[in-house]
Amino acid sequence: MRQDRLIGCAAAAVLAVLPLVFDNPYTLSVVILTLLYAYLALSWNIIGGIAGQLSLGHAAYFGIGGYTSTYLFLTYGLSPWLGMLAGAVLASAAAALIGLPCFRLRGAYFALATLAAAVILRVIVENSHELLGGPRGMEVRLLHDAPWYFQHTRKEFYYAVVVALVAVALFANYAVLRSRFGYYLTAIRNDEEAALALGVNARRCKLQAAVLSAALTAVGGTFYAQYVLFISPDKVFGGHLSVQIAVICIIGGRGTLWGPALGALLLLPAEEVARFVTGGAPGAAMMLYGLLLMVVIRFEPRGLIALARRATGCRAAPRAGVEVA
Amino acid sequence: MSSTITQALLNGIASGAIYGLIALGLSLQFGVMKIINFAHGSFLMIAMYLALWGCRHLGLHPLAVIPLVMAALYVVGHVTQRWLIEPIYRKEATREPIGVLIFTTGLWIFLDNLFLVLAGPDFQSPPGDWPNEVVMVGDLIFTYPQVAGFIVASAVTLLLVTFLRGTRIGRMIRATGQDREAASVLGIDSAAVYQVSFALGLAVLGVAGSLLLTIVPVDPFIGDSYGIRAFVVVVLGGIGSVGGAFWGGILVGIIESMGAQFMPVTYSEAMIFAIFLGVLYFRPAGLFGLEEA
Repeated sequence: MRQDRLIGCAAAAVLAVLPLVFDNPYTLSVVILTLLYAYLALSWNIIGGIAGQLSLGHAAYFGIGGYTSTYLFLTYGLSPWLGMLAGAVLASAAAALIGLPCFRLRGAYFALATLAAAVILRVIVENSHELLGGPRGMEVRLLHDAPWYFQHTRKEFYYAVVVALVAVALFANYAVLRSRFGYYLTAIRNDEEAALALGVNARRCKLQAAVLSAALTAVGGTFYAQYVLFISPDKVFGGHLSVQIAVICIIGGRGTLWGPALGALLLLPAEEVARFVTGGAPGAAMMLYGLLLMVVIRFEPRGLIALARRATGCRAAPRAGVEVA
Repeated sequence: MSSTITQALLNGIASGAIYGLIALGLSLQFGVMKIINFAHGSFLMIAMYLALWGCRHLGLHPLAVIPLVMAALYVVGHVTQRWLIEPIYRKEATREPIGVLIFTTGLWIFLDNLFLVLAGPDFQSPPGDWPNEVVMVGDLIFTYPQVAGFIVASAVTLLLVTFLRGTRIGRMIRATGQDREAASVLGIDSAAVYQVSFALGLAVLGVAGSLLLTIVPVDPFIGDSYGIRAFVVVVLGGIGSVGGAFWGGILVGIIESMGAQFMPVTYSEAMIFAIFLGVLYFRPAGLFGLEEA
């Protein structure tokens, strides 16, 4: 625990001075995106890492978040700060709806069902021309400097918000990992039969984890909509996004506190470099994701965080979700 | 029944036989090894590109490439199982319950994007007029590929079922699927059985890919939707049941082509996914029997 606090303080210090160092808009935007993906990977970690249920459809919740707040803002003038909460509620409901039938079953069913749900949502949105702008998407109306409406012309505003989001997600993971609930989830991941035999209500625990994870992801969707000020179905509901979120978390170290953030910290800049080197050839970045995923699962399934621990010589604190027996 | 409905029904059966064939390999792999291979759609895509290459550069007829693609996919399957999946599978039993699932997800993303880089994003079809020629039966029209696809797919399914029931290797495969420990007590080398069944599954997929190429053009992401279809078929047919996969395929084909009569075309992409969720809700154990490889 002391170790976690130490890393937390160090990370906070770095994040505080970062915008002073990177004052050019391009670098800052890469930093913001990296932090957004760290946040999404941390959100995914609750169901995909700690509970061990592979979700390949988190874009569905991300899209629900972005579309809900944007729709409420454009139609009723509701501040996206409130729309964000509405999006989180809707995404939770969606997660419960997907999880209910799947969690009676094991393994691939949940992965496939989440994937299917994301595609269905994307197609529905693409066909809602009047309501949601169809395949062309929606633009968030410009208000310039309106922090109460989640908008600002300065990138530092978004930087501050995304840092806060990452802090919230880290805290949520920390709280889950330390709680009885977290131990239940870890038990389910390691051996569901054994967990059931010990009286863990596996279905309910998985459902709660899925709902929490979805709600957090939806908040990320609202942030994205306000930051880019434009959303379209292929961007926010796309299969690539779902895969990216999952892969970042797995490569970094699923089920751990710092793994998902580490994954984003390494992969997003790497993707940026890959794009630069290949001249933006489509497919190159995703190839990298696929390859890294295979290599990590083959040689160190606990992720890069395990390598980092070994390299720095500090052992993992005995905590739920780190060591798989 | 009006003739448009009859036509749609028969079209559905024709493409459904190919869907069943695509799903056969997946079902066999699951039945024997209890693993889910998420890269199945990507292997289908590779089979289609190989068939395309055979048609274009060797000047072969779209049906004449089938043995070639089949052999190539058998080799790909053997290599994949031996060098990529087996090392992870060995750890799996003790440590990582979803390791193979995640690994094949990585393989799927990697292969799809590799072909995006290699072959470009365009939809491509084999040259020649053969795919467009038709047979008329009364009011009904069928293309040559539809007829050939149905006949070949049914024949290959029948062959595989006979192989699994009648031959020594087939019985070894089924025994391993039913109880790995008991089978190894009887002297069956389970690692060898896994390699054969995985490679066999991909060889069948090679046939399916060649047939599919005569009906739809290939692109790097074709495996996504057809891979998902294969999962729907497997779930409908009962996971691990090879005969069930065939009937599941026909059923999915019929639902799709009938659904297309009543639905705007922009929704058709979502339909197969909706069917999948529907099956999960109402009939997760499949419609045609269960757990017999």
